[in-house]
Amino acid sequence: MNDDTPQASFLSLLVGFLLFPLGICAIALAMHDDITNGTFKRFANSLITSYTIASFLLLFSLFIYGDKRKRPVAPLVGMLGAALVGVMISFILLSQGDMLMEANGSARAQALSNIIRFSTTLIALGLSVLLVGGIAFASLMNGPVKEHIFEEE
Amino acid sequence: MEETIQAFLFFWAPGAIMVFGGLMFLFSKSKTVGRIGQFLVVLGLLSLLLTPWTIPFSPSSSFGHFIGSILGPTALLTVGLYNLAFSGNVPVGRLSNSERRSGVLMIVLAVIWFEGMHWWILTPTYPNEVNHYWFIFWATTLLVSSGLAAGAILLTRQVGVNRAQEQRLLALLLVMLLILVLLGFVVDGPHVKSERFAHEVWLAGADVFGMLVGFSIAVFMFAFVIAFYESQLPEPKQLAPPSDEEMKHAAGILSAHVMGGDDDE
Repeated sequence: MNDDTPQASFLSLLVGFLLFPLGICAIALAMHDDITNGTFKRFANSLITSYTIASFLLLFSLFIYGDKRKRPVAPLVGMLGAALVGVMISFILLSQGDMLMEANGSARAQALSNIIRFSTTLIALGLSVLLVGGIAFASLMNGPVKEHIFEEE
Repeated sequence: MEETIQAFLFFWAPGAIMVFGGLMFLFSKSKTVGRIGQFLVVLGLLSLLLTPWTIPFSPSSSFGHFIGSILGPTALLTVGLYNLAFSGNVPVGRLSNSERRSGVLMIVLAVIWFEGMHWWILTPTYPNEVNHYWFIFWATTLLVSSGLAAGAILLTRQVGVNRAQEQRLLALLLVMLLILVLLGFVVDGPHVKSERFAHEVWLAGADVFGMLVGFSIAVFMFAFVIAFYESQLPEPKQLAPPSDEEMKHAAGILSAHVMGGDDDE
């Protein structure tokens, strides 16, 4: 086992996770130069949609937090405010003409399209975790049985 | 009935019911509520799968078609991985060797099915062109799986002991994914052109990084709300210091235990 600190392990894991997709995107750009149109719109739409949906999910998780804290109202209101700010920013930005609008007729249609695309990306993420995690787990389970985990003193 | 109302009834409401059912199933301690959650998920999923027939005029029905297209290979992959993992060195409930073989077969079939969508005639097409959501899904899956495989290799190097077999298998998966992506960039499929695929991979990168940033900001806001609330709570009530009599009582108990009792206690 490596003697690095947990922070160093986490950092190298993060670098490993981010570097490969970035490398693949760089190769795509090197091989086809006309693929960058719509990048900012996709990034911004993904950002505001994931922020808003994650805020609502975290708001839901506050009900579980409330079980241990005599059901306080203040954090619920605070998180609801944060989520509503996400909704407001989404609609304000989507109403600014062509800035974030893709092939949709109205701000509402674009917002709904963002939610469906977010779900699609989430399904893809789930399948990726299933594939990589499942293969790693199956390999662990099918490896040779280790008789001694700890060294004898 | 108006088209927007139909789209709400057959797509958005079942979608919301599905999410709500999933949250009920995951977070509820009650078994009954958990079962109701499972039922709502199945009900919502069925309604989404039927959207190409219930609301064929709506662009949202493409999503239902996409879910239906990937349901088969995803189920095969899930059951296959389950069979393979639990036919190994599992102390309780170990599956048989035939289930292990069927697991491997299911995984191979699932991979062939997914690849057939890119390189053969199995590409999800709705109504007359390649389903846009399948493009997003496929590009994101390849991109994120390669990142996760690379991360998992590093993780097993950092925290694992004698994990060479896992590293080799994950490295094999990573190389396979990279070959598939590079082939997709160079060679045209029957329905998927290489330039379109490269464009979708690039946009999938934008999607995933946007999602990571959005999630991070939401988690930061959540932590801020909780920390702010906790900092506003009044200090707990301070107790008065112990009186002389209480100190004497405590000293008596302490000395009785420090001096020790009988050996045969």
